[in-house]
Amino acid sequence: MKPRLSVVAVLFGGVLCSSMLGGCRKSAGEVKPTDAFGTYDTEPDWNDNTRLMHLGYQESQGKRVFYQYCVWCHADATPAGPSNRSNVTPTPPLMNDGEKLNGESGEYLQNIITLGGSALGKSAMMPPYGKTLSADEITSVIAFTRAIAQPAYQKPGRPGSQYAGKP
Amino acid sequence: MPAEDMGKLSEKLRLTFAVSTVVCVLALAISPLKDLRAEWKHYKRWFVKYAQTRPDTKKLLADYTPGIDQVWLPGMNVTDRCTTCHQGITQAGLADASVPQPFRAHPPVPHNVRQWGCTVCHRGQGPATEVAEAHETTLAWEQPILPAHFLQASCGSCHQSDLKESPQLARGRELLTHLNCQGCHKLNNLDRPTLGPDLSSVGYKVTREWIYKWLKEPRTVLDKDGNVTVNGYENEPEPRMPKFRLSEDELKALSGFLSVQKAKPIEKYKINPAVVAAWSKKPDLISQGEVRFRQMMCTTCHSLAVTRAGETKMIGGDIGPELTKVGSKVNDEWLVAWLRDPKSYLEHSNMPRYGWSDEDLYKVSQYVMNTLTDSDLLANVPKLGAASEEEISTGKRLFAEKGCASCHALNGIPPQKEFGPDLTAQGSKNASELEFGKAKIDHNLVSYIQAKLRDPLSVNPAARMPQYNWEQADLDAVTTALLSQTGPAATSALQHLVVTRRETSFQALGAFAEVYERFKCYACHRFNGYGGKLAPDLSFEGSRAQQKWIADFLKNPQTIRPTLILRMPQFNMSDKDASIAAEYFSIAVQNPNVDPQSVGARQFTPAMVFLGKQLYEVKYQCQSCHTIGATGGYVGPNLNNAGNWLTPAWIEAWLRNPQALQPDTIEPRRNFTEEEIRALTAYLLTLRTGTKPLTAAPAIAERGAGR
Repeated sequence: MKPRLSVVAVLFGGVLCSSMLGGCRKSAGEVKPTDAFGTYDTEPDWNDNTRLMHLGYQESQGKRVFYQYCVWCHADATPAGPSNRSNVTPTPPLMNDGEKLNGESGEYLQNIITLGGSALGKSAMMPPYGKTLSADEITSVIAFTRAIAQPAYQKPGRPGSQYAGKP
Repeated sequence: MPAEDMGKLSEKLRLTFAVSTVVCVLALAISPLKDLRAEWKHYKRWFVKYAQTRPDTKKLLADYTPGIDQVWLPGMNVTDRCTTCHQGITQAGLADASVPQPFRAHPPVPHNVRQWGCTVCHRGQGPATEVAEAHETTLAWEQPILPAHFLQASCGSCHQSDLKESPQLARGRELLTHLNCQGCHKLNNLDRPTLGPDLSSVGYKVTREWIYKWLKEPRTVLDKDGNVTVNGYENEPEPRMPKFRLSEDELKALSGFLSVQKAKPIEKYKINPAVVAAWSKKPDLISQGEVRFRQMMCTTCHSLAVTRAGETKMIGGDIGPELTKVGSKVNDEWLVAWLRDPKSYLEHSNMPRYGWSDEDLYKVSQYVMNTLTDSDLLANVPKLGAASEEEISTGKRLFAEKGCASCHALNGIPPQKEFGPDLTAQGSKNASELEFGKAKIDHNLVSYIQAKLRDPLSVNPAARMPQYNWEQADLDAVTTALLSQTGPAATSALQHLVVTRRETSFQALGAFAEVYERFKCYACHRFNGYGGKLAPDLSFEGSRAQQKWIADFLKNPQTIRPTLILRMPQFNMSDKDASIAAEYFSIAVQNPNVDPQSVGARQFTPAMVFLGKQLYEVKYQCQSCHTIGATGGYVGPNLNNAGNWLTPAWIEAWLRNPQALQPDTIEPRRNFTEEEIRALTAYLLTLRTGTKPLTAAPAIAERGAGR
């Protein structure tokens, strides 16, 4: 009689425990899909080619637009070889020049690309791209600029860390 | 058994039964409780807490429900519960990278989540409600989520034409075509591939020893510093010819078999003895040959290894094979016959037929045979001699067995149908359908494809697939293109959305057809979407350039973009050929929206020219990209000779909207007024300074070696 009862008690306890544990099984080990499944694209750091920067969808679209339209004057090396940067006065900033571009707001950059330099009192050598590129493409170029900026771009206003992390 | 014992036993039994009943009922009662702690509920509760820490709480929680959320699109076979946890996916306020996953908003993409769901692009298990089951391969759920790096594969399932947004997929498809994967595998949505050389007469071209070496090690070696060690074959990091794992006997048999392939005798050409006699005594024959080789811009398609400061680099194009050691490869009689008329040896060759004079032909062939050589090229090859009957028959069998016929035409050996597996649905295979062998890799489709491409034997020791040599970026691109091969669409609604691939062709007509075919214009230029991408698109060349300019340019091409390294070859085109081509362009290769009549009669006044110059130099500062005189940028073409080069109608149409004429041009569309357009056109038409030819145009040999 006694051993049977204890067997029953063990069984009972086991079922209870497993049913409870079953519920909390997964919350113990978190899977972070962003880490496990990588990023959309990468771009080698212009200053340190052993380092790769990870790009999201928008930034990688910006990279595509940059290498088609902007690279000729805003980089020192181009896919076709020599850069046109030295032919242009004043010398245009490099696209990853954080010291120059981090201080400019996204709105300002959007405007100067859309309307051209002369519309904003800058050099007319920067042509307007508002009728050639879509607004989304221009936004994506700015996102790409922010992603490759050296020193790294910090979003103004609310510090990012305030809302990060789990409760 | 006595009756009282029976009663005792049954009482015990009853007690046991009663207890176990209670246990079962309790267990049943408890089991729903564990749902309280289901994984997704944790994310639901976390999102509420997270939203409360934000200033836009109300907006974030506007659609909040405590249950499972799903996007259900019956027409597309989509039931995605991803939004149960990814609750901020459509909240623009959560786009910042500091927002913890899974709450971050999706970046703006052409398809939004509410209309398309998630799994159409990302794959994975839409109906699953646990993190692991939704994203990874588990025993019951086999479709894992596609890693972001290969995401463009999903674009390719519906977009059979290439999109500018998915360059990795486009590159992968280009490689599948370039490497002729369709020779052995069935694949969808690709262009027609270019085949390897026809080997029917290869015995006239190269020696058995060279074939042996080529089969054994058909590639250029890149050392760890990225320097090229040339083996005298191809310059691309991925030569089209893969490496087959052949034993010594197989190498001997195949090289023997190929060395006796002499279907069509080469047409021997005897260079004018007077030319040979005059030049053979001159010591600078070779250097003169090299000068001609460079003047003719052979390096636009062929590269040579050049050593500078101890570093060897490949310089030149990759349309034709690398030529650094070609003098030790080919037979000199074959070379002369080939240079004169490539088509007589190889029907589908992209090599143009130059207008050779005997003198040029002699100098250049002597340069190639004497300078582009390497005495060590065949150093490690055993002396093979003539092939035996047995070797030839074994070689013939091997040629078929190894799948050589899939890429190389050879008389009497037809390509085998379906030599390799059908890959049209490879991208939607489950892990359980794949053979991993003993490979120590993750058991999922992406790892399998990459392992198989990198080393076919790693997953299947009996694989017939040869060894390719990949750069990581290209390996990823091909993987993406293979993952996009997902077979027929899952539902008719999806099938309806498929954007089919556009077949492109360009048919040259009349006398031009022969000129077009002889000079292989399409190897570098594009006509209505058909042809190479190296040189400018000529679909509307007749509207753009003046007929006389085209004819002059063809006879003596002067680049209008001085920074280009690869330039239009000097074909030694005759006046007749050049005028046939120029006339054809001016009549038939036109853009209907550029009307030559619209500007023909208009007078351009000096005042307009003056205004145009002001606009060019001050208001719009076009000199940032274009050169006039000796100053300006070199992003756009040099405009010194614009007045002789461009038609007035084209300049006006171009200034109005460049992208309407050439969709991918980087010239920005500006807000010019009609008056400004006319003024700029007037100014550009006054620029008529032709650049002087680098050398005097050589006398074209109508009756010379080039016929």
